[in-house]
Amino acid sequence: MSRRTVNITIVLYLIVVWAAVIFRIDYFPLTWVPMYSVYEPSETISKSIKDKAAMRKGLRVTHRDGSISYVSYKDLNIPKPNYRRLHFSRTFGTAPPKHKQGNTELGSLNRFVRGLNEDESNFSVDWEWRMFWTLNKTLQFKPADPKFIVRIEVSKQRRIYRKADLAKGDASKVEIQTQQAVLDWQDQWVKRWNHGLL
Amino acid sequence: MAFCKSASRIWNQFFFTGFSGESLGLLRMYIGIGLLFFHTYQFATVLTLNPIGAMYYFIEPIWYFNLLGIQYHIPAISFGMYAILMGATVSMIVGKNTRTSILVIILCIFYLKGVRDSFSGDVHHRYIIPMQILFLFLLSKCGEVHSRDARERHHPEEVQEWEASWPIKTMQLYVALFYFWSVIAKVRVSGWVWFAGEGRIQEVLIQRSVRWGVTDQGEVVKNALSFELAQHPELIQVFGILVLTFELCFPLLLLIKSVRLRLAFIMGVTMFHIATFVLMDVNFILIPFVYLIFFDLVPIHQWLKTRAWPFFRRRFSIAG
Repeated sequence: MSRRTVNITIVLYLIVVWAAVIFRIDYFPLTWVPMYSVYEPSETISKSIKDKAAMRKGLRVTHRDGSISYVSYKDLNIPKPNYRRLHFSRTFGTAPPKHKQGNTELGSLNRFVRGLNEDESNFSVDWEWRMFWTLNKTLQFKPADPKFIVRIEVSKQRRIYRKADLAKGDASKVEIQTQQAVLDWQDQWVKRWNHGLL
Repeated sequence: MAFCKSASRIWNQFFFTGFSGESLGLLRMYIGIGLLFFHTYQFATVLTLNPIGAMYYFIEPIWYFNLLGIQYHIPAISFGMYAILMGATVSMIVGKNTRTSILVIILCIFYLKGVRDSFSGDVHHRYIIPMQILFLFLLSKCGEVHSRDARERHHPEEVQEWEASWPIKTMQLYVALFYFWSVIAKVRVSGWVWFAGEGRIQEVLIQRSVRWGVTDQGEVVKNALSFELAQHPELIQVFGILVLTFELCFPLLLLIKSVRLRLAFIMGVTMFHIATFVLMDVNFILIPFVYLIFFDLVPIHQWLKTRAWPFFRRRFSIAG
């Protein structure tokens, strides 16, 4: 490359990486470095407890023929940390951090660029449908199969602490909530089935 | 006119001076060695899967999988990709078909990272800096020095100072901006409250310490140190200001000529990554290997070759 070409290359490179920052593009390998950037002050901190035994057992699923079984990370053949996120987050409709980072304080410029209204989210995913898609497709069940999964059930414990108590080193004052997610297959999703997520 | 001349002089001084072809070649070798560990650490979870097990349908495919229509994971391919990735990285280190090797590494990372991040939709950012470095290596003449490619060619091409300097300086600029941008992101999304003693740092410390549960006595099961620290907002405030200062001032590192000062700064940043890993489970622990770009590796390589290597060899032969 000649020196002139190198100069042009550097300028183009800097334009691209800065554009990613200005327009909040977080598509690998471009980024605006949003990791851990979202903080919304609150009085409490809530955290779901990772129940290892429940995780090993898997998600409780009901098949179309009425039988019940469990789907674990081994059945899906995915790493444990990723399964943990399906089990404790996606089934409860909680999106990955990337979505919150992309939705928070987007600003008028980035809303305009993306054609979003004031109350429209940048990222919005129907996790319920996706859970059925992922589980059934992986286990090779079709909507008409008797083994097709029509219900997914999972429960988890959330511990809610008051920040003021924790700051005093007191972790004993805790409100424990048991949350349950029951996802039911909707027949209107059959139309989506052949298109999948694309 | 005078401004243009001055800007041009600063630009040329920054991007086109400071490193030799040898520095560039050595940087390729040492970054490559670091990558061998980095790849394994990053993709270890994928390698725990059953290669002939179920083909998982991704819940949220990464953007380029969506574009290419890749909907599911074929585990055997990931094992193959990992083997190719390691082979290509070794090939990059020795400088055999250097440019092709770097291109293969980039493609393998895209695939394996895509797989890992599509399982549950959590996109990790650990490969962003290494990927920028690889991209700049790809455009550079890093395979012309300290390489088999150069040895096989009887008249190896000489790498000029400007040709060796610009990729390294662009890498340095990117890394410095990466940290600087993270301050912009925090302020844009959360405001200055992020850095407060009772802000985001305290929140992450508490979340990381209570997530594995609490004993009947009200003590956290794991990460007791994080929990202890979370109770001292005034101390966290100091850390918050330190984070702000070092991220905001990172670009100043590019102006520091003294190697000792640079080293001190880099040691500080490395300590920061170790601390955030231990206390907050922020997994950027291996990233400091990329900071090699801030140093001229020629004297370090010389020292390793003439002092450290004979010392280890002698000890090894005594032990043997």
